[in-house]
Amino acid sequence: MKTRVLGAVAALLMAAAPAIAEYPEKAIQGIIQWGAGGSTDVVMRSITPHAEKLLGGSVVMQNMTGGVGAIALKYVGAQAADGYTLLMGAENPQLYKVMGLGDSDYSDFIPINLIARGVPLLVARPDAPYNSFAELVAYVTAHPNEVKFGSTGPGGLPSVITAMLTSEVALPVIAVPYDGDGPALTALQGGAIDVMPAVLGLAIEGIRAGRLKAIALVDTTPNAALPGLAPIAEAYPAYAKYLPWGPFFGVFVKNGTPDAVVAKLQAAFGEATQNPEFMAMIEGRGFSMLNLSGDDARAFLTNWQKTTAWLVFDAGAAKFSPADFGIERP
Amino acid sequence: MHDKTRRLPGEAAFSLALVVLSLWLTTVAFEISGFEALSAPGSFPMAVTAVMVITSGLIFWRTARLPAAGHIRDWREILPLRVVGMTVMIGLYAAALQPVGFVPTSFLFLTVSIWMLGRTSPFYALGISALSVAGIYIVFRLIFTVLMPEGVVPEREIIAWVQSLFAGAPK
Amino acid sequence: MMESLQYFLISWLDPQLLGLIALGTFAGIYVGAIPGLSVTMAASILISFTFTWDIYPALSLIVGIYMGGVYGGSRTAILLNIPGAPSAIATALDGYPLAQKGEAGEAIGLSTVMSFFGGAVGIAVLAIAAPTVSEFALRFQPRDYMLLAILGILLVGSLSGESLMKGVFAGALGLLIGAVGLDPLTAQERFTFGIIDLWGGISFIAVMIGLFGISEALMQLHHIDKLAIKQAISRIIPSWRAVRKFLPLSLQTSAIGVFIGALPGTGGDIAALMAYDHAKRVTKDPEVPFGHGAREGLVAPEAANNAAVGGAFIPMITLGIPGDAVTAIIIGAMFIHGLNPGPMLMIDRPEMFWFIVGALVAANVFMLIFGLTGIRLFVKIVELPRPVLIPLILLLSIVGAYAVSNRLMDVYWALGFGVFGYFLKLYGYQVGPVILGVILSRLIDENWRRAIISDREDLGGLLWGTLSSPLSAVLLASVILIFVSQTPLWGMAGRGWRRLRG
Repeated sequence: MKTRVLGAVAALLMAAAPAIAEYPEKAIQGIIQWGAGGSTDVVMRSITPHAEKLLGGSVVMQNMTGGVGAIALKYVGAQAADGYTLLMGAENPQLYKVMGLGDSDYSDFIPINLIARGVPLLVARPDAPYNSFAELVAYVTAHPNEVKFGSTGPGGLPSVITAMLTSEVALPVIAVPYDGDGPALTALQGGAIDVMPAVLGLAIEGIRAGRLKAIALVDTTPNAALPGLAPIAEAYPAYAKYLPWGPFFGVFVKNGTPDAVVAKLQAAFGEATQNPEFMAMIEGRGFSMLNLSGDDARAFLTNWQKTTAWLVFDAGAAKFSPADFGIERP
Repeated sequence: MHDKTRRLPGEAAFSLALVVLSLWLTTVAFEISGFEALSAPGSFPMAVTAVMVITSGLIFWRTARLPAAGHIRDWREILPLRVVGMTVMIGLYAAALQPVGFVPTSFLFLTVSIWMLGRTSPFYALGISALSVAGIYIVFRLIFTVLMPEGVVPEREIIAWVQSLFAGAPK
Repeated sequence: MMESLQYFLISWLDPQLLGLIALGTFAGIYVGAIPGLSVTMAASILISFTFTWDIYPALSLIVGIYMGGVYGGSRTAILLNIPGAPSAIATALDGYPLAQKGEAGEAIGLSTVMSFFGGAVGIAVLAIAAPTVSEFALRFQPRDYMLLAILGILLVGSLSGESLMKGVFAGALGLLIGAVGLDPLTAQERFTFGIIDLWGGISFIAVMIGLFGISEALMQLHHIDKLAIKQAISRIIPSWRAVRKFLPLSLQTSAIGVFIGALPGTGGDIAALMAYDHAKRVTKDPEVPFGHGAREGLVAPEAANNAAVGGAFIPMITLGIPGDAVTAIIIGAMFIHGLNPGPMLMIDRPEMFWFIVGALVAANVFMLIFGLTGIRLFVKIVELPRPVLIPLILLLSIVGAYAVSNRLMDVYWALGFGVFGYFLKLYGYQVGPVILGVILSRLIDENWRRAIISDREDLGGLLWGTLSSPLSAVLLASVILIFVSQTPLWGMAGRGWRRLRG
């Protein structure tokens, strides 16, 4: 009985639909690729309230974790391309193909907004006997297979940075895997590992308090948050060709979503990134604002994928060659 | 309720099934990485499945030698029709959840099972079910914004419509 | 000192903040009681919800939810044998038998008072010794985590019921279930058979809901015609004598709770199970045997899991390292509100520390008040006729399993484990060890591998490292002692000793 009443209401609504058919006419689902409390989660949960206001509808956010984010990607890919399911993700899908984690990446999605990029750096425990990248290289060469590098599994930021570093110098170290950069930085403070490639935002407080020691900024320009720390490209210009590089966060919809819907979402999220509170939060965490959409975003994604996929492949950390998927060597 | 000195109907078969399951999982565990390294992803699964094989084997050996429980002959005492019936019901419920939607399926599931189990009047069952589904819907969907499968009911449109009524302004 | 007190009282003197803490605690009790709704989920929803608020009101609400939620899990564990949250698994072991005897009211009353007590101990340690405890917790190396997890898995001995062999099998099965999915360290597929939906592993909550909720409901169908048990609700607030009797035990298990809570990567669920095991070990002759409604078995985990709340805040506030999933979200919330949680927070913004301590104390008091007042209504749930109650439990189990991550896959897992659990129970296996295995699986696997990688795949090196570190050596000794005391070796050793002497 109840179903019939609801059915009737539904029929009525559908009849009335053309009158109110302006997107969004119902709650939008936002699928966050990583767990509650992580960087992606925090960024998405703080930008969305601003975008909601501009959209004039609500966005219900849910964390869908697992499979290095592949499960969320697959879920959104399986929904209708109507703009009612957003993928709120990080950089990982761009490496799925070469890592053997499925045959989908962001080329199957339309970027609504690439919000921000993280700045990688190398940190060490404070009592480590090296203070710069050159000293680290010298120490590792003198003590092969003794220094413990934290890592977060294949395709994670530490593995890419390590691949980048070893493309120019030999670094015989032990890679100790952790299931996230948070736990790895904790282990670094406890002395379980010696060096860790990390994002600036996550390590900054530890560095300020002297519990972590920054030894190299993996970027082309110095960072305002860490004055005095030389970018690695100064002493080692060979790295400049890979830089600037960093993990990023973005909002996506499935390919085939109507242009009007995409435009509305892009406008809303684009304006939301300019919100002063949000910008303050992003800078406070040591991220660089990107705010890219449309062709710029596409170009960024393609470039990022080329650089990174070949880096990890050349370092022997990938399962398949990027060439198998038509990813050109940069 | 389980008497460890007697063997219940089906107990030997169950413990044998666990042995077979453990053996099969051991082969799967071996295929993950073989004996590649102590730190290989397959090492821990292999150790665990080995424990499963040993313990399930011992359990089967002991169970098989127990005398059968004399007072229980009938399968019904082990697996009453009600249990089978309810299991089928939840199976159907889970299968219908996605295509038909949360509200109608849950309502139907509750009504039928309360009515059948309690042999009460269908109106009593209807009333209780309507109340419970409404309660669960309010807590999960409205307060905690868990999007239950919508199926045939366009819930989000209805909610947006109701909200627009309250907002007072047509969108 | 005066300043600290002033910061401490911020939430107490502002009626709005106090009201938000009360509201949060109240909501938290229900979030905790309903399987599938978790504090983690509620807290992350609150982040967007409180985005435009000031930091104090936002934190007040989240702190309340956290405190109430950890406690609320015990409600459904006692009344229905379905732990509302993982930290209430151990509570079900002796709480549910009490409800079956018609003593649910007393059980809830006792667990409330003990949760309050544990909560207070946790907050006290946070207030007094936070820096010391966090420095100590940081010293835990991968091998120490591994030994701690092995210590945990030895609890199988306490949880296996009629047959140790069946308990060990169930525990190993749990460890295996926990290993399903993409390996978190190498992204290698394990037991996934190429199915992408299995990459994320099997949801632990779905397993818990299946093994406890659904299988229990199916089991109850055997007695569908029996009348519901009348619950005595005359004695809800436990007598002072009872409280005093359990005070030493709850103090010990609170200590376990604070410490396990303060370790990054372990939380209230493991703390509660370890506390249960501890109670079983130190209680020489309980009035009622464990597993049949021993009050010690109720007091120990409840004190421990609420003490773990204060514990989880310790590394968060002193170092900016989350003690568990909820404190991770609080760190996120602080970032959003322009704070920088980290080692400098205590120095830059000392008021935050004392504000959180004050809010936690308030939440703990509200938990006691709400906990002791709403019992009558709650207990009515178990007095519902079974033909109504059982379908409701089943429905709630399915909704709960779905709500965890909005995936139908989890519903199927809950169902599968429900039916499997029915047969396990029928043939004398306990479901407790399975859950224990699932909880500890990743902790053991990952830390074993980190430890052995750090020592360059050299077992001898690992052993040497373990023996030369006092912390690791103590943990290893405890593992050996407990292992030996649970197996026939203990009796043999005792006889040998007597023979030598005599």
